[in-house]
Amino acid sequence: MTDGVPFLDRLPGARRYWYAGLAVFLIAWPLLFGNFWARIGVGALMWIGLAQSWNMIGGYAGYLDFGHGAYFGIGAFAAGIAMVQFGYPFLVGFALALVVSAAIAYLVAVPTLRLTGAYFAIATWAFAESMKQVALVTEITGGTFGLSLPRSPETFIGVPVPFQIGETFFYYAMLVLCLATLALTYYLFERHEFGYRVKALRDDQDAAESLGIDTTRVKRQVYVLSCMVAAVFGSVHAWYIVYIHPNDVLAAIITDRMVIMALLGGLGTLTGPVVGGLLVFLLERLSSVFLGSTTFYLPLIGILIMITVLFAPSGIIGILRGEVDRDEVRKNVKELGEKFDLL
Amino acid sequence: MVDIGLFTQIVINGLLLGGIYVTIGVGFSLAFGVLEVVDFAVGEYVMVGAFTGAVLAPLFGSEGIFVIPIVLVAFFALGALIQPMIHHVTTGDRPHPLLMGLVFTFGLATFLRGSVLTIFGPNNRDVPSSLLTGGVSVPGVGTFPVVRTVTAVFGVSALIVFMYYLYRTRGGMAIRAIAEDRTNARLMGININRYQSIAYGAYAALTGSAGVFIGMTFTANPGMGLQYTAFAFFMVVLAGMGYLPGVIIAGIVLGLTQSFTAVYISGNLVLLVLFAIIYLVLLVSPAGILGKGEWAT
Repeated sequence: MTDGVPFLDRLPGARRYWYAGLAVFLIAWPLLFGNFWARIGVGALMWIGLAQSWNMIGGYAGYLDFGHGAYFGIGAFAAGIAMVQFGYPFLVGFALALVVSAAIAYLVAVPTLRLTGAYFAIATWAFAESMKQVALVTEITGGTFGLSLPRSPETFIGVPVPFQIGETFFYYAMLVLCLATLALTYYLFERHEFGYRVKALRDDQDAAESLGIDTTRVKRQVYVLSCMVAAVFGSVHAWYIVYIHPNDVLAAIITDRMVIMALLGGLGTLTGPVVGGLLVFLLERLSSVFLGSTTFYLPLIGILIMITVLFAPSGIIGILRGEVDRDEVRKNVKELGEKFDLL
Repeated sequence: MVDIGLFTQIVINGLLLGGIYVTIGVGFSLAFGVLEVVDFAVGEYVMVGAFTGAVLAPLFGSEGIFVIPIVLVAFFALGALIQPMIHHVTTGDRPHPLLMGLVFTFGLATFLRGSVLTIFGPNNRDVPSSLLTGGVSVPGVGTFPVVRTVTAVFGVSALIVFMYYLYRTRGGMAIRAIAEDRTNARLMGININRYQSIAYGAYAALTGSAGVFIGMTFTANPGMGLQYTAFAFFMVVLAGMGYLPGVIIAGIVLGLTQSFTAVYISGNLVLLVLFAIIYLVLLVSPAGILGKGEWAT
């Protein structure tokens, strides 16, 4: 029935014009505004994708993964090692990032997914820190010297490509990967049966099990999937910034940023990490440009998270959707006041 | 060939370190029992405590230990005021209360770390200690560094006072009752707001003063918090969740592991070794090394 209908008409309502406009805008972005803004775009798209990858395990499955940044670094080093130590083109490194991150994620998942809540969070964090320490002492990762990746037209697929590997190329690469991540999240977690299984285990693990869901397996699947997505962005990032060092690509701040972006936007929603990712990324950039401080956004974001959780627990998306209105906030303020009755 | 002198010295250092870790672990474990929320900010209290020491000690004759009373009072007040917020986010009709509790303390941790980082910059700061210097040599055993010994003595005596309060006073009984069943405790006429605040305040005070001592032993750095958060979690997982005597053993194991790893492997790989231990414990004995805790699932 839908065969003769153009794609845009199948989208609901007047939204299709917005989507079409947004698509044109996103594609035209680097051509309209030049290299500087293309660079901002690369960062924003990458962080939206990373925030969404964290949201898969942290938001949809309810497992706060504080070692997620490790997979970003693992992806970066997989690409780096393939290109520098073995002389393969980038695509091989990209594939290697997928395979290696999946293997490591599986091994980490077996014991640590037995933990819940903060214990899972801290076990994964310890894992990420130890990955960094390992990368600093092993030879293949370049140790404390890091790795410098080659970036010329023939390092993409092995034979020279007819376009330049520059800001514009990376903008479109990140755009494709970011949109693919969002599409994957939409399909798997919002439309597919898999998403219902994941949400069921988050909401009540015992009830999910009594319905015949193999929760251990589903948890492992979500974890491995989300880690692979992070590794993909890591591998492209490595090639983009050309020089990688364990203290940069395996830093704890990478995980912190992903977590903050997803939390602030709204956990377990498709659009939350997009809004949160954009907001935090821009806030960080603006505070470093206008205030000259690269850390000032941290306490600001800490306060924002506390206020959000106290008064509007479903995040910015909850406010935008109208789930949190004035009465809700008023009720929260009143209830909080009662709890200060200490004497 | 193992050097016996070096070996005993490592054991001494490890045991003395363990003394202060036990303080952190026990407070942390209690906060978990009472509030049913696992506190991400634990390491940041250590960090803020260390920085309080670094800032205030020069005003008190460059001696960090004189700052302890101030830290105890200030952190108790801070904790008592933070507790109602944690209580608020983990109760009521909101979805995923446990997750919200974690998220809130994560926000708090980010705020504390970010503030200190913005104010003091990323560099190390010393917590001066002009009186507690040098070490006492015991022939045939090894040297007891004064700072570490005083630290361990403080840790153990704080622990004893804390345990006395918890098990021998009415207030302590109220706190244990809340840990067992919050609703029933409230029905018995216990002001749960007040006693939860006391428990959380006591935990914050213990952790903050442990931070001053840790700052005196090592150094103060805005990024140090996460490591102590990991240590606190390590102790509780190793001990078996909700099993207090296990925490004491786990604290000593942690101190010994840290000092042995630092000497025989590398100071940078302490976390890797801890992760390996957690990995094995969870695979082999998920209820802790003594098998007496709740399953860490």
